[in-house]
Amino acid sequence: MNLNELTIKEAHNLLEKKEITSVELVKAHFNEIKKRDKDIHAFLSLNEEEALEAAKKVDERISRGEPIEILAGIPAAIKDIILIRGTKVTAASKILENYIAPYDATVIKKLKEEEAIFIGKTNMDEFAMGSSTENSAFGPTKNPVDLERVPGGSSGGSAAAVKAGFSVYALGSDTGGSIRQPAGFCGVVGFKPTYGAVSRHGLIAMASSLDQIGPITKNVDDAAAVFEIIRGVDELDSTSVDLDWQDYWNSPLDIEEIKIGIPREYFIHGLNPEIEKNIKSIISKLEKEGAKIEEISLPYSEWALATYYIIMPAEVSANLARFDGIKYGYSAISHQPSAISRLMDVYLKSRGKGFGAEARRRIMLGTYILSAGYYDAYYIRAQKVRRLIKQDFDRVFKEVDVIITPTSPTTAFKFGEKTQDPLSMYLADIYTVSVNLAGVPGISVPVKEVAGLPVGLQLIGKNFDDVKLLKIAKIVEQLTKEIT
Amino acid sequence: MALTKKEVEKIAELARLELGEEEKEKFAEDLSSVLGYVQKLSEVNIEKVEPITGGTGLESVMRKDDETKCISDSQMREQILSASPNREDDYFKVPSILE
Repeated sequence: MNLNELTIKEAHNLLEKKEITSVELVKAHFNEIKKRDKDIHAFLSLNEEEALEAAKKVDERISRGEPIEILAGIPAAIKDIILIRGTKVTAASKILENYIAPYDATVIKKLKEEEAIFIGKTNMDEFAMGSSTENSAFGPTKNPVDLERVPGGSSGGSAAAVKAGFSVYALGSDTGGSIRQPAGFCGVVGFKPTYGAVSRHGLIAMASSLDQIGPITKNVDDAAAVFEIIRGVDELDSTSVDLDWQDYWNSPLDIEEIKIGIPREYFIHGLNPEIEKNIKSIISKLEKEGAKIEEISLPYSEWALATYYIIMPAEVSANLARFDGIKYGYSAISHQPSAISRLMDVYLKSRGKGFGAEARRRIMLGTYILSAGYYDAYYIRAQKVRRLIKQDFDRVFKEVDVIITPTSPTTAFKFGEKTQDPLSMYLADIYTVSVNLAGVPGISVPVKEVAGLPVGLQLIGKNFDDVKLLKIAKIVEQLTKEIT
Repeated sequence: MALTKKEVEKIAELARLELGEEEKEKFAEDLSSVLGYVQKLSEVNIEKVEPITGGTGLESVMRKDDETKCISDSQMREQILSASPNREDDYFKVPSILE
């Protein structure tokens, strides 16, 4: 038995049956990290001592015959943009290099109640801005499938950690595709819940109207298991929503009851034809098994990326204004005291030095967009188009249960391929950003590889229909196994 | 549309970012290319469309102001204050703001 290949459910069953201990499980993952993370660099920091201590406690409970929670004793890797009290949280930025989180994110609080084991914090693009982890201030993560290629991003460290067997599952955050795209590039499952399903309290904010925390896992069942624990309304996030969620486990869907929409705008120029072929073969398989397949149109998709690249940087420039060199983080007050004569110098020098190139680029972009004279032309216009994009989805979801698209137009690209031209990097998100603009849930499930590289199939669901989306994703997962 | 170096300097000042000379030119190029791309939105007819701020339609959710819900323990309070590069007692200290 290879402990590094276990899913959450498998690990949980083995722990309950006392065939393995949590300490063994945790040690096996740290051993693998020590062996291979020099090459992959999925982690920014590790938490071995505390993880083993927490594992011992779970083992004691098991040996006393106590029932344990589904995530108890099981290793989790956390994207380094989510706060765990008393541990470093950097957002992969120099500006937070030595920052210690003073409180727990709500998702962490919930995982702690489950006695989940935090093994470390994963690498990412700085402040979650990027699609390759090349924007990390601490060096990129490599794709465990092919070390010459990026793992995707921004949650590239989380996806790589799960793929490499460094962690049973991971948490990421998704603003324009940052969970789904790296999951697709690494060949694991990545789930972005409906906006408001999971509390964002304790997630370092990038673009608040788009950000959402979600799981990266080895299969769809595990994504559902983690989602059940982390979701729920939270007083500390006023955009979180109180809902009675459907049951995922005990009422499987009948494939003949499912209506699937295929948006014609997503299968056009720029899509790798081999990826298209693999996605389409799953669609025909679904049809053969009895699902209803319908061609649909999301006409405003064409403007989604442009809308996103106005709304996101506008929110970025407002959110990142909090990094001022005065309250916390890198400060010119400590590092260049002789260069400071007035308050303005603290701001200019702390921020100029602390933020990396992409963060600065987006802050500049957002500042320009929100500045007097441009606000209406850019920001208000983008908010109006955002409504049209959302209306596209509202209309389509009156007809279908779920939409299927590729997760990305290409497989994982090589390092440096897109770093010179920011626009070419932004195009990596072309299939994922609409989902965040509309608030709807999306999940990437691995399908048949192309030239040895993983391919993700994206399923998009209706707002707060996350459980149904997961059930349909599970059907796709099973059919993929039958085909390959 | 192309931004001039002077415009980049103005934006950098508004954004409170110190930029190097070379970087100003690189940013003029990068920002112009992205702004050129987002111009695409002018193709969309937005007449009679109201702007939205998010996908789920929630607006102005209020809660009671309750200080025990925020910084509820003294250890957290201390951690927050001690993260400051220049602290005096329970205050953040800043350089003089008067010329």
